[in-house]
Amino acid sequence: MAKNTELSAAAKKRNRRKNLVAYAFIAPNFIGFAVFTMIPIVVAFGMAFCNWDGNNAPQFTGLKNFIDLFQDTFFLNSLVNTFLYSIGTVPLTIAVALGLAILLNQKIRGRGVFRAISCFPYVSSIIAVTTVWRMIFHSSKGPVNNILYNAFHVPKDDLPQWFTGHLIILSYILFSLWKSMGYYMVIYLAGLQGISGELYEASDLDGANVWQKFRYVTWPQLRPTTFFVVIIMTIGCFKIYDTAVLLAGGSNMSTSAMVLVAFIYQEAFTKWNMGYASAAAIILFLIVLAVTLFQFKNESKYAND
Amino acid sequence: MKKKFLSLAMGTVLLFSAVLTGCGGDAGTDSSSATADQPAVDTIESTPAEPAGDNAETDAGNASDTAADGEKVHLKWAAWDISLITYWNDLADKYMELNPNVEIEIVDFGSNDYSNVLATELSGSGTDFDVVSLKDVPSYATLVGKGVLEPLDSYITEDSVDLAQYAGVTDQVTVDGSLYELPFRSDIWLVFYNKDVFDAKNLEYPTNDMTIEEYDALARAVSDDAFGEEVYGCHYHTWSSTIQLFGILDGKHSILDKNYDFMIPYYEMVLAQEDDGICQKYTDLKTESLHYSAAFSEGNVAMINMGSWFVTTLINNLASGEYDASLCGNWGIAAYLHPDGVPAGSTLGAITGLAITSESQKKDAAWDFIKWVSGEEGAAVLASSGNFPAISNDDVTAAIASMDGFPQDEASRAALKTTAVYLEAPYGDELAEISPILGTYHEMIMQRECTPAEGVAKMNEEAGKIQ
Repeated sequence: MAKNTELSAAAKKRNRRKNLVAYAFIAPNFIGFAVFTMIPIVVAFGMAFCNWDGNNAPQFTGLKNFIDLFQDTFFLNSLVNTFLYSIGTVPLTIAVALGLAILLNQKIRGRGVFRAISCFPYVSSIIAVTTVWRMIFHSSKGPVNNILYNAFHVPKDDLPQWFTGHLIILSYILFSLWKSMGYYMVIYLAGLQGISGELYEASDLDGANVWQKFRYVTWPQLRPTTFFVVIIMTIGCFKIYDTAVLLAGGSNMSTSAMVLVAFIYQEAFTKWNMGYASAAAIILFLIVLAVTLFQFKNESKYAND
Repeated sequence: MKKKFLSLAMGTVLLFSAVLTGCGGDAGTDSSSATADQPAVDTIESTPAEPAGDNAETDAGNASDTAADGEKVHLKWAAWDISLITYWNDLADKYMELNPNVEIEIVDFGSNDYSNVLATELSGSGTDFDVVSLKDVPSYATLVGKGVLEPLDSYITEDSVDLAQYAGVTDQVTVDGSLYELPFRSDIWLVFYNKDVFDAKNLEYPTNDMTIEEYDALARAVSDDAFGEEVYGCHYHTWSSTIQLFGILDGKHSILDKNYDFMIPYYEMVLAQEDDGICQKYTDLKTESLHYSAAFSEGNVAMINMGSWFVTTLINNLASGEYDASLCGNWGIAAYLHPDGVPAGSTLGAITGLAITSESQKKDAAWDFIKWVSGEEGAAVLASSGNFPAISNDDVTAAIASMDGFPQDEASRAALKTTAVYLEAPYGDELAEISPILGTYHEMIMQRECTPAEGVAKMNEEAGKIQ
């Protein structure tokens, strides 16, 4: 008995030592994370209830920032724009990426080349690509409007102005689709290759047609992949900034082009309303959290099927 | 085992302290690092240190307070685009030549995001900058509001600096009776025109007394919409100042007004010009990110309203061959256009200033430097490269007008004379809130998302919400 407790004490000690070694190994990364990410996030939560210009002592203002936000034209517009953009981008990108993945999963000639090509937009520099994109959709000199004018005889005054008004959100969506479909295609390809061939054999035996095979084999088997893609993409969509700034042409953004992160940046680093910007960031965080939780819940419901 | 744990623990503590001191910048660490720095500088500079001490004595004791034992005073100065703008180094070199006991280090923050980067640098505590350049008044307003600039009043009184030499612009940036910057560059807006374009049409050049209606008529007369050979009568860069600020030339309005109805007629004029092909469309300029200098250098723009900083750009780029002299080499300048009933020579102004950070440990030396740069000697250095110093007198204007590459006709020289200069933005504590509003609706009006009347109504509404 005595020996036993002695042993367990030694084991405990060894365990503790093991733990310490483990902590020491994660310390460098975790300390960096804590100082540069976690603490600022916690501080931002506090700042959201204060009025702070980054220098003078913050003043506690309670919920004022949040109340003001929901009366702020620019905030509400950027919120709506960001939602529109996300709602447009996520399903469209999934459909196209999945379609591409299924096509390029077939045994066709030059499959490797096509796979590589569809990843080009993802690996190219966003600044270079937006510049080209702006020339392609240029209102008077761009090839897109030229085709509309010459081939479809759209009157000159009705040619779409791709970077203004309500069309700009569509431009953001099309651009993101084109830019990121290659990346999500790769993820879907990996998912497709994980599906066991036996399932298709079995459905062949049952006489399923192509659509039925997709509907009852491929799509359910891809659910974990889709879950991952949807979450990653939704978070990415709500964080849209570079695409918007580059396509809308920087500095002055009209209320139809403004997105949440651009709004936060302007409030924080142009107007130095740190508290107000933090409050907007908290709202962005809550939205992303809500969307993610909703999807987790949905996922667990289906996981039992 | 024990040893191993101990070394691990030590390592962790070390890491902690390294990370924490890296970002904590309280006064304690600051002063300790400052004292640690000095001997280091001393050893590096040991050879020139002695003669430097001697020179300092003969040099009328400029920056006298700090150079007690021949140690160099190190000033850190924030600026932008050092490789493109030559005067930063010219000014620093000249000052160091006159004051060998001072060493100036210029740090380049780039020009695109300069004001934001500077404000971030000065936020919180622990900055080691002594002198900062201020690009515009909104940025000045932000920094004054943050309380990171030193008021200069006591220095100004002590050294009896005559603010009258700045022709009244310092009054427009005085905050509650205190001045936090000294302007060293002061630009005015002018009309730049391409003589060849006017000659081709046998039209008279723009005069130094041109009302906005006359300008509109002239722009329409000189333009040509022949396909592929278009000539644009005028050009408006995408800044809101190029259109909105015609409205403040009467001296009765300013962008701090919160009612911007006075801008409507000018928007209507420019949009009509766009429709008639008199100027290039805003949407296209924006999509192409076309720089105004590139637009003018193509030789198909007759007139462009722009600040006097464009003089240096034109002279330098034509001299280097960057711009084709056969397209835009024959340029002239006219005084800014003005509304009817306002005296000719009324124009917009923009100032570039220098300020001392409130955290600087070497304020006296910093003051001596900014006083020198914004004084007569600094002005001479600026004018020698075609820049407009804040001190304007006939000598300075003559120096610029006699530069190689400056248009040699009488009218262009006379265009530099002003009767009233209104700052693009005078100081106001709501400036940082107002500017983005004016920018947003400028964009929307020019992109034709709304009419000028609707856009201006929204400007009034949003500006009215500022508390």
